[in-house]
Amino acid sequence: MAAGSEVYVLGGFQTDFARNWTKENKHFSALMRESVLGALEACELAPEEIESAHVGNFAAELYCMQGHLGAFFTEVHPAFSGLPTGRHEAACASGSIALLAASAEIEAGRYDLQAVVGIEQMKTVSASEGGAYLGTAAWYAEEADGIEFPFPKLFGRLGDEYDKRYGLKDEHLAEISRLNYDNAKLNANAQTRTWYMNKEHALCRTDDNPAVGGRIRIADCSQVTDGAVTMFLASRDYAEKYARGMGKKLEDIPRIKGWGHNTARLRFDDKVAESQDDRFVLPHVRSTVTNAMKRAGIADVNGVDGIETHDCFTTSEYMAIDHFGITEPGESWKAVEAGWLEIDGKHPINPSGGLIGAGHPVGATGVRQLLDGYKQVTGTAGDYQVEGAKNFQTLNIGGSGTTSVSFIIGR
Amino acid sequence: MPASSQLSPAQVRELARSRNLQHVVVLGANGTMGFGSGALFTQAVPRVTFLARSKAKAEEGLAAAIGQGRSPTVASRVECGDYDGDLERAVGEADLVFEALTEDFEIKKEIFDRVEKARRDDGIVATVTSGLSINALCKGRSDSFRKNFLGLHFFNPPNVITGTELIAGDDTDPAVVDFVEAFCRAHLGREMIRTADTPAFAGNRVGFKVLNEAAQLADELGPVLVDRLVGPYTGRALTPLATIDLVGWDIHRAIVDNVYENTNDEAHETNKLPETMAKLIEKGVLGDKTDGGFFKRDGKARLVLDPVSGDYKPEAEIRLPDLGYIDQVSSLYSQARYGEGLQVFLAAEGEYAAIARKVVAGYISYAFHRVGEVTDTINGIDRIMGMGFNWAPPSVLVDTMGSASAVSMIEGAGLPVPELLAEAARSGEPKRFFHHPTINAGRFFVAG
Repeated sequence: MAAGSEVYVLGGFQTDFARNWTKENKHFSALMRESVLGALEACELAPEEIESAHVGNFAAELYCMQGHLGAFFTEVHPAFSGLPTGRHEAACASGSIALLAASAEIEAGRYDLQAVVGIEQMKTVSASEGGAYLGTAAWYAEEADGIEFPFPKLFGRLGDEYDKRYGLKDEHLAEISRLNYDNAKLNANAQTRTWYMNKEHALCRTDDNPAVGGRIRIADCSQVTDGAVTMFLASRDYAEKYARGMGKKLEDIPRIKGWGHNTARLRFDDKVAESQDDRFVLPHVRSTVTNAMKRAGIADVNGVDGIETHDCFTTSEYMAIDHFGITEPGESWKAVEAGWLEIDGKHPINPSGGLIGAGHPVGATGVRQLLDGYKQVTGTAGDYQVEGAKNFQTLNIGGSGTTSVSFIIGR
Repeated sequence: MPASSQLSPAQVRELARSRNLQHVVVLGANGTMGFGSGALFTQAVPRVTFLARSKAKAEEGLAAAIGQGRSPTVASRVECGDYDGDLERAVGEADLVFEALTEDFEIKKEIFDRVEKARRDDGIVATVTSGLSINALCKGRSDSFRKNFLGLHFFNPPNVITGTELIAGDDTDPAVVDFVEAFCRAHLGREMIRTADTPAFAGNRVGFKVLNEAAQLADELGPVLVDRLVGPYTGRALTPLATIDLVGWDIHRAIVDNVYENTNDEAHETNKLPETMAKLIEKGVLGDKTDGGFFKRDGKARLVLDPVSGDYKPEAEIRLPDLGYIDQVSSLYSQARYGEGLQVFLAAEGEYAAIARKVVAGYISYAFHRVGEVTDTINGIDRIMGMGFNWAPPSVLVDTMGSASAVSMIEGAGLPVPELLAEAARSGEPKRFFHHPTINAGRFFVAG
């Protein structure tokens, strides 16, 4: 990254992912409004300062019969009327794509202060209808049409592929679920913070934990969530001015130190076929992670103090463990058994509770992950704080390992 | 006065790990709070003993706990027994004894006599009482008992409502209080609020004052109009009289009688149970757990009580006055324009809007007047109203409408203005009373 083109992160705000905005009789616009106004307040920024806005969202046209989401940003405050805005979509990685676009504009010197909103309202429809909408993140006609809950099945097959290549035990997946739910209990914004869960429950094979797709059971799944997250990204000049105004130093303001971004072929079968001779099951995901590390000047996973990863299912977190390089490929279970992933462990993963515990409002997830990284490196994560965290890495995945984006945020 | 918790996140995790709760004994496991709390404990504790008067009763509690936890681990971690055969042995092995018997001082005292003899020296004893005095319950007992005794007030149903009051007695060991708070935060997902040992503690003291005032108004206005006037737009998902039906009229009576008899505050008369309710309770009207209360179901229709005559009539036959302002407020809320919505409420004309404002003003005034009595700051009251009652915390209402508006609403209702609010309004500076970046104030403003 050229000098002077750093992207600083001023902070942000997430809505409480346990809320059901349909039950509160609230419109999509209310979700955006609360997150944007909340972020302005949290960061002590005046609305007049914002120069541009990027909205990440997957499928508001389906869930809410509403498109043109960039324009909704202008409804939040009179000062926003006339601002350049737009919307970005890459399935569950939509939020990270919005962050990438905003960062690129800052690096290019076009704007000094950008708002990024990740947003999804999903509880407007039944579970099966929503499951079909999510199927459009795969190659719908080939992999999802006519299949109930296509995504658990696709990620069940990710588990099958691990099983075939290296062996995979259900108890390790159950432990991943248990840990995410446990961490969520420490996060006041987590959707499942009051839900009943323990390892025994995650392992149970009765109707209390039904199968939804191959080896994937309910306890292995992330949630259907309403939520929005807004963050502000700034140029070095703006960050310097902002830090002064807040009585801080520029070094106190975290920045995006590195990023990775790859897109693999859409169909799961094609991805797996491509990786037959590779050490990694999803080599493009591995590239995303290592590219972010290279750009940040970080040699390996020991250079980050924690990870917020995309655990849309326990199998995706199992995959992430070796793809981050915490273990050798196929040996993710070792990190699970050793307790390395706990908040106080050697390589904390998802102290927030992740997508399984904190919730997964699809288009908001990438932004939520970066915000949690921001909280960790500024020591403001509350009960789920990783002590002394300096650098945090995210991994956000759209589709069945298709679009991958990773950020490293640090001071 | 109990200080608000100062435990840091690291302390919470460290304290929660400092002591392993391997065995919890629930006394009164067949009651709603007994089995609900018991189910909650099975999430994090490997062994939980359900005790009741008979083993069959304890097993009824277990069946209900399984229904609530919806997990086979509830059954696999629970054993059942009765007081006569199992109490001494189970309590002797317990790390924590959780008492959830009927709200009756003598009944609790009797069981604590047995617990005191049987317990380990380091066994913690917690009561889920919603208002009996913690100091009175352990008075005259051994040093070891009093050091390890505290109030742990979960709200019903505990699997859904996270707000929890923690009440130390004069002699409770602060380390025990800290440990219980840390354990509940880290392992049971609880929002912990420390309160003083005053009648009904913080949440029920403030909440039932509002509920009872709504019940008093129902004599004249009827239940439907009252629940519309003090409905969701005033910052609550469940309307007040429907709440009393859900809680049970007997429980409502026990709480407000306790407050009325043992306190004498500026709003004393609003804590007096309406005569009409007292008479109907004698006839067996207890709300949803009997044949109905202010409301009852008749197939698909809802029937509504006339509290004075005791008769019911179909809701469809009840005519309401024009309350168009409520629709305007709801429409603004649906776009998250909460401040504007409250301004419409404050400006609404007519006697009915004035009655609604009086109840809301009374809630704010009463809550702020309790600071220093039930909690050390408004923060504790705010958190228990938000997380225990699921109502807009008083400070959220004040912040959203502005302290000057809040003061003029309270004055307009002829109620005493708390000094904290008067001061904020006088200063003319925008002030925030509610400081919880992780609690969305917006969730409390329910549209429609």
